This record gives sequence, structure tokens and C-alpha cells, in this order.
Amino acid sequence: MKKTLQTIIHGPWAYWIGAIILGLLNILVLIVRRQPWGVTWNIEIWAEWIGTNLGVLSDRGFTFEGLMAASGTYLNLGLLLGAFWATLVASQVRFRPIRDKKFFFSALIGGLLMGYGARIAYGCNVGALLNGIASSSLTGWIFAFAVFLGTWLGSKLLLKYLM
Amino acid sequence: MSINSAFHSQRKWNIGFILFLTLLLVLLSQISIRLTLITALGISLGFVLQKSRFCLVSALRDPILIGMTQLTRAFLLLLGISILGFALVSWGASQRNIPLSLNVFPMGVHTVVGGLLFGIGMVLAGGCSTGIIIRIGEGFAMQMLAFFGLAVGSVLGERSLKSWRYTFGEWPGIFLPDIFGWVPTLILEIIVLLTLWQLARWWQKKQLGE
Repeated sequence: MKKTLQTIIHGPWAYWIGAIILGLLNILVLIVRRQPWGVTWNIEIWAEWIGTNLGVLSDRGFTFEGLMAASGTYLNLGLLLGAFWATLVASQVRFRPIRDKKFFFSALIGGLLMGYGARIAYGCNVGALLNGIASSSLTGWIFAFAVFLGTWLGSKLLLKYLM
Repeated sequence: MSINSAFHSQRKWNIGFILFLTLLLVLLSQISIRLTLITALGISLGFVLQKSRFCLVSALRDPILIGMTQLTRAFLLLLGISILGFALVSWGASQRNIPLSLNVFPMGVHTVVGGLLFGIGMVLAGGCSTGIIIRIGEGFAMQMLAFFGLAVGSVLGERSLKSWRYTFGEWPGIFLPDIFGWVPTLILEIIVLLTLWQLARWWQKKQLGE
């Protein structure tokens, strides 16, 4: 019993338990939001708003009020707070600096490729892959196949240059 | 798992943070119950993703790098649950005339190119969009940088989407139940998932001999 509690607090939980709870939460998001869970589009509209206010991007009409009323903002904020809290309950909170300069570049380039790719394909792993497939959309399956191929290419790069 | 003794007890911080989260949700509930529920769901998703080490990069990369497919199979389970749940919810919504939009997106060459770039990017950045947010919550500097890249990249993507559409064209998304009907679609999708599940199990046995 004590060991079970210890695992719940410190983790890691078994993958299949994660899958079941995440599946239920994903369905609940659809019910409450009337639209599936997504991550990247909200990040883009915040970037648009910040860029507009810094004067580096043309105005696409996103207002602060609009962003604060967007459900995606609260999902992403929740993700961040939830992950931080999960780390905190296990007393594992600490800053984890970049160990090697090459990871500085791989993070930046990887992020750029990912953001660009997600935006032209209308979504990331959550919005386009998981929930594209969950929506029984053919596009979701095609995107999933492309992401798998991309992962394979990325792994080759990772082995060649980073490991 | 090693726990650094200097950080062993963050219990006080934890209690403080729980108070903060409660306060946040209570205040938000004064403005909008819907947004409060969504925030609570977001927090739960973040918590479970962190605790179960769920990560789609690992699910797709680990079979290639180390031959492990446990997470890949768990992800297939998540897909199966979501497919059935979404079908049920959209049926329920149509019965009650509640508007509900699903993610049936248009497709084109940019769907494939976007997927390829996204796949490469997430391996290099050490996390997909969601994974990056989770790892920022865990305190990783690398993913804070990746998040910046992600934000810039998505703006660039938005700016160039038009020319992708113009050059290669775009077709409306295909909602599979429109073609096959609901029941055959669900059967077909579950068969595909089960086949992939078997394939993943066979792959791990082949790679690791277990």
C-alpha cells in the first residue's frame, strides 16, 4: 500500500495506465471544449500577438482579450502547471541547464522545424496526429505516417551528430 | 531514481503550490466555469503526461533507436480509446443538436512535408509541442529554447502556408465515416491499430529477443 502511494507520487506510472487516463481526459476535453485538444495553434497566436506588439510582425487582429478568452491558452497553461506540479509532488523541482553546446542548436533548429511543420499541416502530435486520427480523418493517418518517417530521419541525424 | 538530498523535501513548496492552483481555479470560476474546467483538464493532462513519462517522440523513436515498443503500444491504446470516445461523443452531440467540431483538416503536399519536418524537429528538440511544455515544467533549459523556436517556426509556417496551397493545391479533408459509415470505419480503424500493435510486439521481440 505504501509502495503504491510512493509510485503514485514519485512515478513513473506504467505507460498503459497513462494511456487510459489520457484517453479519458482527451474525451473530456472534447466534451467541455466542443472541439478536440490542440497545442500548437494557440502558441502561434500568442507569438503573433507578441510579434505585433514588438513591431516585427504585421497585425493579424489578435487581441489580448481574445487570447485570454481562448480555451487553448488555458489548456497550455494547465499543461505547464500540471507538469510542474507533478515534478514538485515528487520533490524533483530543479533547473536543468543545457549540458552541451550542440544541444543549444538542436533545440533551436528542432523547435523551428517543428513549429513550421505543425503550422503548415494544421497541427502537432496532439491536434493533427492523435486527434486527427481520433476524429476518423484520413488526414490524421497521412500526417501520422509522415511524422513517423520524419522521426526515422531525425533519429539518423541524432545518431550521426548528437550522440 | 536518485533524489538529490538538498531538494529532498519540497513539501512546503508543494502545499503552497496546491494553494496557488486552488486559488487560481476559484478565481477563474468567477469568470467562466467552462475555462475553469478546461484549466483543470489541462493541469490533469500535464500531471499525467509527466508522471507516466508519456511522450510521442519516444513512442516513435525508441522502436528505431533501441527496439523498445512498450510506449508505442500504449500510444496505440490511447488512439483506440480516443477513436471510440470521439465517435460516442459526436454521436451524442448530434442526437442533442449540440455543435461539435472534429479535427478533419484539409490535406495536401504540405500535410506530408509538415509531418516530415515535424518528425525531424521533435527528435532534435527532444520533445513534441506537448512534450516541450511538459519538460519546461520539469525545468529543462533546452526545451525552453525549443519553445522559442517552435513559436517562431509556427509564425513562419503560417506565413508560407498560402504558397504551399497555391503551388501544390489542397483537397478537403476526408471524414472516413462519410465514405464507409460509422461502424465499418470504427472496425477498420481498430483492426489497423491491432495490426500495428502486433507489429510493434513482433518488432521488439525481434530486436531484443524477449
